[in-house]
Amino acid sequence: MIPSSGVGLHEFEVVSNEEVATSTWRLVLRAPALAGSIRPGQFMNLEVPGDPSHPLRIPLSFASADAVAGTVDLVYAVVGEGTERLSHMAPGQRSTAVGPSGHGWRLPESVPVRVLLVAGGVGAPPIVAAAGMLAGAGVPFDAVLGAQTASRLWGEERLSSLGAGTVLVTTDDGSRGIKGFTTDAMSRLLGERDYGLVMSCGPQPMMAGVARLARSAGIACQVSTERMMGCGFGACNSCNVTMAAGGYRSCCSDGPVFDAEELAW
Amino acid sequence: MVSEPRMAVDLGGIRMKNPVNTASGTFGYGWQFEGFFDVSLLGAITTKGCSAVPWDGNPAPRLAEVDSGILNSVGLQNPGIPAFVEQAGEYLQGLRDRGCQVICQVAGHSLGEYARAVELYDELAPFASGLEINISCPNVSQGGAAMGATPQAAAEVMRAVRDRTKLPLVVKMAPHDVSEIARALEAEGADALSLINTIPAMAIDVRSRRSRLSRPTAGMSGAAIHPIAVRMVWEAHKAVGLPLVGIGGVRTGEDAAELILAGATSVAVGTANLTDPSSAPRILAELTDWVRDQGVADVNDLIGAVEC
Repeated sequence: MIPSSGVGLHEFEVVSNEEVATSTWRLVLRAPALAGSIRPGQFMNLEVPGDPSHPLRIPLSFASADAVAGTVDLVYAVVGEGTERLSHMAPGQRSTAVGPSGHGWRLPESVPVRVLLVAGGVGAPPIVAAAGMLAGAGVPFDAVLGAQTASRLWGEERLSSLGAGTVLVTTDDGSRGIKGFTTDAMSRLLGERDYGLVMSCGPQPMMAGVARLARSAGIACQVSTERMMGCGFGACNSCNVTMAAGGYRSCCSDGPVFDAEELAW
Repeated sequence: MVSEPRMAVDLGGIRMKNPVNTASGTFGYGWQFEGFFDVSLLGAITTKGCSAVPWDGNPAPRLAEVDSGILNSVGLQNPGIPAFVEQAGEYLQGLRDRGCQVICQVAGHSLGEYARAVELYDELAPFASGLEINISCPNVSQGGAAMGATPQAAAEVMRAVRDRTKLPLVVKMAPHDVSEIARALEAEGADALSLINTIPAMAIDVRSRRSRLSRPTAGMSGAAIHPIAVRMVWEAHKAVGLPLVGIGGVRTGEDAAELILAGATSVAVGTANLTDPSSAPRILAELTDWVRDQGVADVNDLIGAVEC
């Protein structure tokens, strides 16, 4: 028998590609097979045409997928040459995506009473996908959403419309919500309600703080990691994450979602 | 009607149904690509380098993109040969049975470790059609490229491993002094040579003033190194009579054809596997078209056929 990772090459068409917050873009793709098979927390690796001298694909997590319409909704930050090129893709343009890649969020067998979602910056899209999963499973959840400044904030409305009990917004400069870090808001919610699981995605130092708080509160925690990637499907060993038990695993094929306890922080 | 050209080649006893192979480290253990194409279409695959015991490899970041290439510093992370056989053996035996040759890469820090690794493959990996001895990895502190840096050192590795197996031995060479080192390896009983490994290179983040990788230097691959690979394959082909695996920035059938004209018997696709996972069978189709367009009946007639 031939083992399979389930990852394949899919053609997609850009439906829309618009800036929704400062340097933050929303891209809707039509790719029916991918839309029907990708699970929350998984990602895809996009070929972005226009520069043959930079052919590496761009790995992007998604916020939601509509199997009926055959579309996938992605939100990404323009941070470099590749994502800048991606922001110039126009509706109707076609390219390819490799996916669905990696292992996504996991709902434990004994469903937690309440889940706390913590997203920072560009970590918001997979947290919105997690919220969609929880809403579908009927698990109540709250969310903390952090950004540097109000103009870079994305995801608040999506989290609310998916039924989040409370959404606490934090900004580094206080231009919106609580002035401070997501961990400050997380501490506050942990003091108010009982949670059975934390799911987090954001910059590494933020997730380290989230993992520490969850651990000291005795709550299970899943984190979605990000690395510079080569293939995106477990063939090149370029996107290593360091494990608590020693050694490395691949962000792309063993993750991107890991139990926080498994990782060396 | 034009008949199909004969594409089969003999890589030092490894009988490939066509010249297309994959570069170790870019193709996992093969099965990762089955979702993109039927891997058994290829003449051979070369699996990720494995050592006798597990190696952790290097810290992150291990990859940086540069113009027309990438720098990697993976450092031969591998689970050790016994775990490799457990994970991939059944698949690789099936692949071999489907007509694709399986070349397993050997990594070591010392002569003793190379010898032990070859013994382990010989004992545990009946699916192996041949072994590729990597004496040119630029990303490990001990062994690696140092083991193949001079003709004397390369010859010592060959002497340490040659009698441990009857499998054909391919030696993966570093991108320097290829003529002298190729002659030394031929004299010590290598069955084939593969070249080039990645080129030592460096990329600096000028804002943080740090290397873009976890180590100061890394190995460069991709389109930018292709003309260097063509030149070095041509030099090795003039220096020795051994069959060669041409490796370096192959993205198209035309790139593969250049390496064959320079003297390669087999051509391995590397970095292109990462950016376009279905590139290897496309390159095979394009290469076959080129052989037909050249009006020859057999690809072997084009090996080293560059006119200078």
